[in-house]
Amino acid sequence: MDENASVISMLDHTWFGSELAPETQEKLASLGSIMSFRPEEVILQEGEESIEFGILLSGRLALRTLVPERGPVTILSVEPGDVFGWSAILPEATAHSTVVATEPSKALVIDGMTLRAALKSDHGLAAGLYPRVLQAVARRLRATRLQLLDLFT
Amino acid sequence: MISDSIPRPASAARQLFLARSDFDALIGALRASGRTVIGPTIRDGAIVYDEIESAAMLPAGMGDEQSAGRYRLTDRGDGLLFGYTVGPTSWKRFTFPPQLNIAEARRAGGVAFDQPPVEVPQLAFLGVRACEIAALAVQDRVFLGGQFTDEDFRARRKAALVVAVQCTTYSSTCFCSSMGTGPAVRGGYDILLTEIEDGFVVQVGSPSGAAIVTQLPTRKPTHAETGAAIDSVEAVRAGLGEPLPMAGVDERLKQQLENPHWGVVADRCVECGNCTMACPTCFCTASVERSDMEGRLSVTERVWDSCFDVNFARVAGGDFRGRPRDRYRQWLTHKFSSWMDQFGSFGCVGCGRCIAWCPVAIDVREELEAIAPVVPPVERPVAVEPAAASPGAFSLARLASVKEETVDTTTLTLMDLDPAFLAARPGQFVMVALPGFPTVPISISRIGTTSIELSIRAVGATSTALTSLHPGSRLGLRGPLGTFWPIEDAYGRHAVVVAGGVGLAPLRGLVEALIASRDRFESVTLYYGARTPEDRLFRDDLARWTTIKAIDVAVTVDRAGVDWKGRVGVVTALFDMMTQDCSRVTAYVVGPERMMQASVQSLIAKGVPPDRICVSMERHMECGIGLCGHCQTGRFFVCKDGPVFRLSELGDLYVREGL
Repeated sequence: MDENASVISMLDHTWFGSELAPETQEKLASLGSIMSFRPEEVILQEGEESIEFGILLSGRLALRTLVPERGPVTILSVEPGDVFGWSAILPEATAHSTVVATEPSKALVIDGMTLRAALKSDHGLAAGLYPRVLQAVARRLRATRLQLLDLFT
Repeated sequence: MISDSIPRPASAARQLFLARSDFDALIGALRASGRTVIGPTIRDGAIVYDEIESAAMLPAGMGDEQSAGRYRLTDRGDGLLFGYTVGPTSWKRFTFPPQLNIAEARRAGGVAFDQPPVEVPQLAFLGVRACEIAALAVQDRVFLGGQFTDEDFRARRKAALVVAVQCTTYSSTCFCSSMGTGPAVRGGYDILLTEIEDGFVVQVGSPSGAAIVTQLPTRKPTHAETGAAIDSVEAVRAGLGEPLPMAGVDERLKQQLENPHWGVVADRCVECGNCTMACPTCFCTASVERSDMEGRLSVTERVWDSCFDVNFARVAGGDFRGRPRDRYRQWLTHKFSSWMDQFGSFGCVGCGRCIAWCPVAIDVREELEAIAPVVPPVERPVAVEPAAASPGAFSLARLASVKEETVDTTTLTLMDLDPAFLAARPGQFVMVALPGFPTVPISISRIGTTSIELSIRAVGATSTALTSLHPGSRLGLRGPLGTFWPIEDAYGRHAVVVAGGVGLAPLRGLVEALIASRDRFESVTLYYGARTPEDRLFRDDLARWTTIKAIDVAVTVDRAGVDWKGRVGVVTALFDMMTQDCSRVTAYVVGPERMMQASVQSLIAKGVPPDRICVSMERHMECGIGLCGHCQTGRFFVCKDGPVFRLSELGDLYVREGL
């Protein structure tokens, strides 16, 4: 199995990737590369330019934000199948949180600039990827609303 | 024959004997009364109903062998005239003809619509079986029992004299005893015949029948002859075997509209419609317009139709029953479920024609068993009689130990208890009293052999006082109270426990019970959400459950520090992990009301049936025994009707604002 086929196979097992059209999966696989992260390895830093878009294939990442006097707080864990660094799709975007691996993890990572250029020139890719990213963001928004309710107090 | 008075079963005193050699006298008398006699005769390798002019036309000595998709005539080697069961035709052919002109329209200087006059033949039905009498009665209810009636049918029924015949044989396709329609004829006849060795025991059921029978060369039967008549019918009843469990099948089918087996049987069904044509009760028709070449006269023909026809439910915008499985489901659920709602009886009489005449041998009895089997009654445990079950009464207990679970939640272990508390069920609660404090309801978080545990979050005066007690303290208890988790709802299914925050307390006993009888469930899963890692209850138990195979545990917290390596996110996000067939999930949910609502919505969206979701409701309670009125929610007192409810029981009371 060549590398692309192996990446596509991994994508197919994710929530995010399984409903993408085969050609979109293929393009994403060719644009990105599989990266491994050690526990506590920082992938993106809050406030810095969001340079990478990723789809987590295995392991777990934590999205952390710094709260003055409380230090870093984990506000969400990224589970296999979910995305991180989605703001890299936007030009000159900054990362909203720090992305840290909490377990040995593997992800398909695409350079933000490369992805933006591809989305601009390849309407098929844009039409396939944007709705899925929007769904991922909407899921987070819904979850954040529930978290805002602070149900357990 | 429909008469103004319902024919009564004839008494033994009115029984007569007619020799088989004199049977032509009966046919002659029926014909002499101006009736055309319709009875069984052989045509095209089957026994069908057609005009009979003499006994010689009856299938003397013939029998039949029937099974799914199979019908064969046999030579019995005797002279019995009715030694077979039912063939492909039914009497509806004569009361409800396959084709009937019901209207004429003319264009001649205008438009005129006319109904042809109702003109029906005087018929005598010879050889009507018990199931067929029941079928005629079913169609009576369809055509004559409602606001709108079919007068052609009424006229044909009134004009038909019914000569019934007791079944003295049966086929493998017969199931009249299951449908409560046979094998014995109980009424609905003018003359009833039971065929024995040399002739017939004759009973009269109406004045019209009596007028015929008086003309026959009958005599009083011997005791041996009447005994033989009774025995022959009873032998059929015994031969049919244990009746199928039809009681409640109408309701069971309503619960199975999405059963995948509809697709399985539809894959076999060729949609020929034979079952509906052979069925003695199916009554669907289509209107066919036929006009002359100039369009001056058009006739509306009513013809038998079948719900298996691909166009049967089609409208301009599409087809409401577009798939074969939809059409098979329509037919079966009408016969055995919605017919009951519409007409007060099943639409099936158990004659078995649909089984024998199905070209692919679909047996409706097997399909019912596959789609809506009888669920063996589950033994539901009964709640123990509570101790101190009156206002102001409490049973003393000793606080044996105290364990701090979280910064605000403490588990008290109580001993020296009334035995009733040790017989509590997971999900039940107790009312806890301390002198000088309001009584509070606390769910039981563990039921041991000598102790129970209460896990209490310090949020008010009593709960704060309770969590400050030292071992050796005494406190008052009433209980155990309320409903408990219906663990049997998950037998053979995937048990999913969803807990939020302190909601794990009333679920801990359930989790332990699920683990203890793990073999009874397909899988057991706990999804637990807490505010922070430090707010997780029962961390020792969670750690232990995580390491055993009997249960899958997934925990998430709303927020965490950097030390927490587990999931962060709302509890509903855990449902993304569900790989179970959600239609086979039974879920037990407890947490803050808004969290339960979000969880229930997500579970239903994933396909968990609402009647398989149980929740525990928290309400203000002062007595716990339904007397103070505080916890009333709609038609329920949550303390005694709950706190555990199936979602389907709560209906629109669930998370209804202001209730």
